Amino acid sequence: MTAVTPGTRARSGRWAAPPRPPWEEKPSRAGLAGKGLTLALAALAILFPLWIVVVTSLQSKRTIDAAGGLVVVPRGFTLIAYEELLTGGQVQRAALVSVGVTLTGTLFSMAVSVLCAYGLSRTGSLGHRWFLMLLLATMFFGAGLIPTYLLVQALGLTDSYLALILPSAVSVFNILVLRAFFMGISPELIDSARIDGAGDWRILWRIVLPLSRAVLAVISLFYAVGYWSAWFNASIYLTDQDMMPLQNVMIQLVQKQERPVGLATQINTGQLSPLAVQMAVMVMALLPVAVLSPFVQRHFKKGMLTGAVKG
Amino acid sequence: MTPNSAPSAPSRRSFLASTAVAAAAVAGGTPLLTACGGGQDGNKDGTTSGKDAQKILPAFVASSVVTPDLPSKNGSAAGFTRAIDLKALKTSVPKKLGGGSDLKIMSPFWGSPPAGDNAYYTAMNEAIGVKATWQNQDGNTYDEKLGAILASSDIPDVVVVPGWNLNGKIPSAINAKFADLGPYLSGDKVKAYPNLAAVPTDAWQRSIFGGRLRAIPMPASYVTNIAPFYRKDVFAKKGYTLPKSPDEFLAWAKEATDAKAKVWACDDLKWTAFNIYGVLNGSDKALWWDLRDGKLVNRIETDEYLEALEWTRKLYAAGVVHPDAKAVKGDASNRFTAGQSLVFNGDLSYWYGSTAEQRTQKTDFEMGAFDIFGPDGGDPTLWATQPAGIFTFVSKTASERQIKDFLALADFCAAPYGTKEYMLTVYGVEGTDYTVKNGLPTKTTKGTNEVNGAYDYTGDPAAYLAHPDLPEIARLQVEWQQRMGAFTKKSSFYGLTITEPNRWTNLANDFEQLEDDVVRGRKKIADVQQAVADWKSKGGDDLRAWYKKLLDDNGSAAK
Amino acid sequence: MSHSTVPRSRAGARAGRKAPDGSPPEGAGGRRAAGSTGRGAGRPALRLRFRRDRALILMTLPAIALLLVFTYIPVLGNVVAFQDYDPYLSDNGFVAMFESPWVGLENFRRIFEDSAFWHAVQNTFVLFLLQLVLYFPVPVALALLINSVVRPRVRAVAQAVMYLPHFFSWVLVVTVFQQIFGGAGIIAQTLRRHGHQGIDLMTDPGIFKFLVTAEGVWKDAGWGIIVFLAALSAVPPDLYEAAAMDGAGRWRRMWHITLPALRPVIALLLVLRVGDALTVGFEQLLLQRDSVGPGAAEVLDTYVWWNGIRNQDFGYAAAAGLIKGVVGLGLVLTANKVAHLMGEQGVYEK
Repeated sequence: MTAVTPGTRARSGRWAAPPRPPWEEKPSRAGLAGKGLTLALAALAILFPLWIVVVTSLQSKRTIDAAGGLVVVPRGFTLIAYEELLTGGQVQRAALVSVGVTLTGTLFSMAVSVLCAYGLSRTGSLGHRWFLMLLLATMFFGAGLIPTYLLVQALGLTDSYLALILPSAVSVFNILVLRAFFMGISPELIDSARIDGAGDWRILWRIVLPLSRAVLAVISLFYAVGYWSAWFNASIYLTDQDMMPLQNVMIQLVQKQERPVGLATQINTGQLSPLAVQMAVMVMALLPVAVLSPFVQRHFKKGMLTGAVKG
Repeated sequence: MTPNSAPSAPSRRSFLASTAVAAAAVAGGTPLLTACGGGQDGNKDGTTSGKDAQKILPAFVASSVVTPDLPSKNGSAAGFTRAIDLKALKTSVPKKLGGGSDLKIMSPFWGSPPAGDNAYYTAMNEAIGVKATWQNQDGNTYDEKLGAILASSDIPDVVVVPGWNLNGKIPSAINAKFADLGPYLSGDKVKAYPNLAAVPTDAWQRSIFGGRLRAIPMPASYVTNIAPFYRKDVFAKKGYTLPKSPDEFLAWAKEATDAKAKVWACDDLKWTAFNIYGVLNGSDKALWWDLRDGKLVNRIETDEYLEALEWTRKLYAAGVVHPDAKAVKGDASNRFTAGQSLVFNGDLSYWYGSTAEQRTQKTDFEMGAFDIFGPDGGDPTLWATQPAGIFTFVSKTASERQIKDFLALADFCAAPYGTKEYMLTVYGVEGTDYTVKNGLPTKTTKGTNEVNGAYDYTGDPAAYLAHPDLPEIARLQVEWQQRMGAFTKKSSFYGLTITEPNRWTNLANDFEQLEDDVVRGRKKIADVQQAVADWKSKGGDDLRAWYKKLLDDNGSAAK
Repeated sequence: MSHSTVPRSRAGARAGRKAPDGSPPEGAGGRRAAGSTGRGAGRPALRLRFRRDRALILMTLPAIALLLVFTYIPVLGNVVAFQDYDPYLSDNGFVAMFESPWVGLENFRRIFEDSAFWHAVQNTFVLFLLQLVLYFPVPVALALLINSVVRPRVRAVAQAVMYLPHFFSWVLVVTVFQQIFGGAGIIAQTLRRHGHQGIDLMTDPGIFKFLVTAEGVWKDAGWGIIVFLAALSAVPPDLYEAAAMDGAGRWRRMWHITLPALRPVIALLLVLRVGDALTVGFEQLLLQRDSVGPGAAEVLDTYVWWNGIRNQDFGYAAAAGLIKGVVGLGLVLTANKVAHLMGEQGVYEK
């Protein structure tokens, strides 16, 4: 993390507070309190809704009925909603689909984007400006839904998982971030490799990629989140309900207030509230990204800096 | 309504049937309107009725397999309140008719469809003699999907289309993409499929699209399907008496609302308000019109329409409507069963669905539907809905064998209550999908998951209601329909499937939104009047003339 | 061959390297100079350049191909904007494009005559401006706050927590907001229990745009915070030290060092945001359209969706989409120009 702000701050243990620079004023007590309060409030504004969702997913029907909706103060604890969701049926199937599409899609997108970003990272190479313009233009206009649908259909991609990956595989923004990072890699390294006879493929694989772990992690996360939370393409390109990813099933359960029919018996026998099921699906949809992001977080600064700052 | 599927699913579909605004109905009537002879397939507008329809319609041969103990009266469904004697099931399809073709069926689905290869589907295929595979689509967004799929060159062999999805250019797509079933069903030909021959002629009439018999209809009672339900148990406990007029209702609602305790008197009651004030039926654009003193009048031009909106607005303004209903979030029946609202309106099938669901946990739960009252507390004037609202089509690229096999499937699914075919279609395989307890068939978990509505629309007998586990509910439902049926009139275009010319199909699409804005206090009644004036000048009056000509040329189908 | 590549790539790379080295982000502007240096050098023959760069071109192609197929070709489908397009005229919707009648600018005329369209335009812009004004201060302020916290643990936790809602889907955000701020929500019920009037923030068209903005801030402030924190960490500490030596207090340092350091990032995000101006929260608004009515919630994207999907008026919807695209592009170009005038780099080079 601190690699970007070299110098002054000595690192003594990962979590220890670095010494305050001597020129900085001591913060006033009121200032500290204000800061703490603001941060706490901001965190609360975010954690409170999250808390309600998680807690509700863990409550019995009786508690939820008594609360008349989402539960703030938990009474008891039951995993019945999760058990139901994970023992076969539509949700489990959908979760597997989502994992599969996310992994494949992210790999594919990363491969295409990294190649493209490196290919464009050499200013002055042939066609460089044209390609770049071609990329940039897409950021500002798009095609309508119907032509896109007809195209995907004509390519025979409807009812195929490719329809969830190919049309959204390339994010120009992500390519630009990667490109900016690649351009920042020490040219001496690359030059010396070139003098040793390495071609561009070798340079990319052996030098550029190992040095770009931070940005690769960040962009992978971006792509993964994109694939994981996408639902629109599935809703129009897939006709087979068995193929629907988790987000679509969640929308069906939550937004349309449908009950998962596979759970009808449990719900009907009064042990399980439909609301708990809905919340449990949401937690499931949220879990992978929530677990993953702290690991990628430490790369954020480095990855985002070059990317976002320099576009 | 097929009454025995999962609780919330069937109700929603039919509720939608009545609430969604069907932009256009369809049918060719080429000979009648343009006299360009031959009546080729294509996106012709108009309708077909009278003599021309007679040539196409299938013959009617009543089914005598099982007699209902509550026969249809005043347009009601027939009621079966006795449990089926499972040992004495009749047979309505003596010979397997299917020839083993593959049929890919696309259908809307409310809820979670089962996996494709399950015991129920296999047993159905086996019994019918086909290899049907299902493409079940989310019913709530079916129109989005339908439009795109019909635009492609690869449409499924069989496609189910709810009447309320006949928007925009879909009617022209239907005429262009689906086969004429006339050669297989018209006149006496239908007798090869006895269960289809027992489908009422009213329903078949609705299946004439583009001058051709293109669909298998799902018959329905023409009595309004929107019932105002109330919590009978709560009313008894609190000592409330049923309101008998709009004013009484408002007064009661103010008294019954206790927001602090999270109880509101009612949910959104716009559709009931339309019934109370005698507004022309809104479920199909053709029903919006009625001939009055020699002039066609549209529902949006009537005083009743404005009065109904005004009364609903008062309910909202008084704060007696559940706030989530105001936000159009969540599910009205859930709020009702949870006790957060005491009155809600929904499809008649909620009566059974919600009761069955609640009986498993709270034995004291009881709901009822109150009789719709008139604007002054007297008898109401109700308008008939269409006698069929969901249609199943066959692709025109299907082979003759496939069409015949589809008809075999439809005939099987149209088997009446009390037959072996009915039991398989509605309950699945005995021992796997249902077991028999105390002489009553009860679905197993597997049955609940698998037998949940796939075959609901691909062939149905005349409208009926039957709940062997709660026979009393079937009786109450039928009796409610019969009482309301006595007040029900048929408007000028009742029973006809009409294709409006493309340029006018979207003309009135914004009114439903406007209604919702007005009742929630976001717009004024004056805005509706302005919108009606705009509607007239932008084509409403031309549309009126077009409908008038249709009426003069064809006559009304209403008796 | 490579002799001509080396100096050029070095020039480009060196400029790009400045920021990670720790110089202020304004240094990024150096890339422009590098670009012109590259152009200034004499060009080798095309064939030579191709042989030299073919690996690079090959690498670029998959992404370009995907964009051509899935973005550029569908754009051609926009010709239906000038038709009374009926996809069912033929067995295939594509072929139907050649058979549908041409209507010239009829669709555009109808759009411009539709008051609902102008309503949508107005809502789009109001919402966009509101988000512009209200969206940026929150993450900037929170980033400054977090940046001033010395303990890494607190910083890391704060960052992780604030970033979480970015992963919520809109369905979830709207559901949770309804359960908290709705008329039967937690706040309303708490108020009622204490003898006050309940509130319903979810169905009031008057405050709807603020609600939408608040939802947006809640969901995406974390993302902004991370970007701004990254930019802040690039400010060399010796600048602060020097300023402190000169007697500049905490606030002066923030005003004269920190905020200017954030300027390019803010400018960049602004320009990007402007590009999205006409696509403000399609999903978010569609989900809440019924709660407040189209009068308050209809934006251009939902308008297009409504007409294209619900009313099946494809030519009309395509025309509206085209208008949106053209206006959007114009806005971005303008914003970028403004950014350049203000001395920032914007999204792309001049």
